[in-house]
Amino acid sequence: MAAFEELLSRHRDKIYARAFSMMRNEDQAADLSQEAWVKGWQRLKQFQGESSFVTWMTRIVINLCLDQLRKQKRQRAESIEHLDEELGGVERQMPTVTTNPTEGLERTELRARIDRALNLLSHEHRTVLILHEFEDLEYKEIAKRMECSIGTVMSRLFYARRKMANLMASYKREEMS
Amino acid sequence: MNWERQLELQAWVDGELSAGDARRMAAFAESDAEARALANELRMAKAFISANEPEVKVPDTREFYWSQIQRRIAQAEPAPAASHALSWQFVWRRLVTPLSGLALVTFLAVVSFNTFREPAIDDSSRFMVEVENLSDDVGSISYRSQSENMFVVYLYKKDQEAESDTQSDQINDSFFQ
Repeated sequence: MAAFEELLSRHRDKIYARAFSMMRNEDQAADLSQEAWVKGWQRLKQFQGESSFVTWMTRIVINLCLDQLRKQKRQRAESIEHLDEELGGVERQMPTVTTNPTEGLERTELRARIDRALNLLSHEHRTVLILHEFEDLEYKEIAKRMECSIGTVMSRLFYARRKMANLMASYKREEMS
Repeated sequence: MNWERQLELQAWVDGELSAGDARRMAAFAESDAEARALANELRMAKAFISANEPEVKVPDTREFYWSQIQRRIAQAEPAPAASHALSWQFVWRRLVTPLSGLALVTFLAVVSFNTFREPAIDDSSRFMVEVENLSDDVGSISYRSQSENMFVVYLYKKDQEAESDTQSDQINDSFFQ
């Protein structure tokens, strides 16, 4: 168990950060990241070393977060905006961002703005973005994990990226004015 | 550009298209300014998001965080030895308790049978068998009946025996009835 504690000590921030990125709630992130470590301990014999330990643990916490998000989704009604996003209506109204809104920003400020923008996305769009951009998963794998079609993944990812680009551009405009 | 074309463009940016489709899409993006601008925006968003995941740290101390996980692990997996001991105790109780009860009842039955068994004595000698009287002055008469659950001792002065024969007979009669 001492070795496991050492692994936790090394990777706990990364696992917690992934849970927080998906849930956007400190209490839920703490709870789910702890649950991930418990599952990691219980399934340690199943870890074959095909990926790194931290990648394996990240997959566990992502699955727990997805389960939690599914539970939450069942409890809330789909909004009209969500349906519109799925059909690709909102993206058409967003102007194409042509200049890089992150140019000249210090890394800390850039991360803070990305965090702020991520907070404005729905769980579904944020999750697709995290799985694709942070976890490097392919459309097919994301669809499997999120239990939806590849078309839905593509649609959500498209909206999420365009929304992020536009939000970052608006933060840049705020800064300039 | 229609919706399907936009998603196909994104798939091209993400490297999800087959070699043939990718070549076709590259040619389209080269020739269409709107498609080129959109592809650039998608690439830009992909780049700044994936390289700048917000940094979040576990708000608790390492010791506290680990202690909570340890507690959860302990709750999740009951010790196998304890479980074995419990099951052994359970079987022991189930087997030994009824056997002990049966043995106790048998023992009490035998003892009570021997204790309260009425001696096989003649009805005529039923009295004057229980008390040994060593006194020269006092005489005694005893009567014991198992069926009536009765034991009576009558004491009298020997020097008055002759005078009160008649009275004694009457008293005895009253006791013995």
